[in-house]
Amino acid sequence: MKLITFIIVLLITISFNAQNTAIGKAEKLVFTASYNMSGVLNNIAEVTMETSEAKTSKATLLRLKCTAATYSKWDGFFKIRDLYESYVNPSNLTPYLHNRDVNEGSYDKAMKYTFDPKTNKVKSVQTKKNKPTENRNLTIHAGTKDIVSTIYSLRLIDFKNMAVGTKKSFTILFDWEEMKGQFTYLGKETINTAIGKKECYKLAIGSNQPDVLKGTNSNFLWLTADGNKIPVYGKFKIPVGNGELKIKSVAGLKN
Amino acid sequence: MKQLFIILGLISAIFATILSVLPLSNLAIFPAAAALVFGLIAFYLSKKAGYVKKIIQFTFLLTIISLSITIYKAVFTTVEVANTEDLIIKEEESKQEALEELEGLDLEDINIE
Repeated sequence: MKLITFIIVLLITISFNAQNTAIGKAEKLVFTASYNMSGVLNNIAEVTMETSEAKTSKATLLRLKCTAATYSKWDGFFKIRDLYESYVNPSNLTPYLHNRDVNEGSYDKAMKYTFDPKTNKVKSVQTKKNKPTENRNLTIHAGTKDIVSTIYSLRLIDFKNMAVGTKKSFTILFDWEEMKGQFTYLGKETINTAIGKKECYKLAIGSNQPDVLKGTNSNFLWLTADGNKIPVYGKFKIPVGNGELKIKSVAGLKN
Repeated sequence: MKQLFIILGLISAIFATILSVLPLSNLAIFPAAAALVFGLIAFYLSKKAGYVKKIIQFTFLLTIISLSITIYKAVFTTVEVANTEDLIIKEEESKQEALEELEGLDLEDINIE
């Protein structure tokens, strides 16, 4: 569903060389994705973000897996079962392989990216229902990542020493295109969540939009202001109302 | 004027009833509230004229039914994910394929653990 895809697509390019001190090997975050119109919430789907080890004969990578599944009351109308996953360097989250398998209603699509970080080349394979498989070779800019690696990479940023108003630009590879965006650090804010009251770093996510600090930006993300920096709340503007992503449960945190 | 509010009230009540049985049942509150307001105005105007039409009573009935369904679903229904067997199978297959693919890649940058 477009709402879920919209919520997941946090467009940004960051040239991360930060080391991973926030993301563990067996972490599980569960979110509720909702639609909010004038204060009335409608729960749409459950989004799960999990990490695990992926062992090969040469090295152990970190598997970052995101799944989205509509709640049963929606399945009769529009059923979503999406899988987004990346296999990354556990130290710095550089991606080597990314898979996207989308099943939304009658729409089926699978996309695979194989990254070569040394040459910045990507082999992509797209499979769509009733269409031939499409292969493409792409050249990307250094630091460009897939969507899953990018979302997790936000947690590598050192917000503790960041000045309010700091902007950082990112590039994300999605559907063969490098999409640019940026986030702005808005400072700390304490919010109530299902896992307790949390002091958070608040980010405004956008696409080179002006006047962010005046509150005109419509997409926000709250990350806990601790060693884990887990996303606990996201708010995204859609044509009518807002999309919201709220943390429901956490397990296996590194810190 | 009275006719207008009767029609608006009826349309809102029907809309609220339809929404209340759909997954977006929480949104039925808005047309239900509108139906109540229009219905009350229509009722007041009808009383002044000396005769209350049955359709106004029908509007209130529909509104109460839609609100009852909405409140019941909000209070007693728990949202949960079901039928994820396909997704679990897909995840496992994807992992196996990925591991095979990764075996063929240059992973020198990663420290062997």
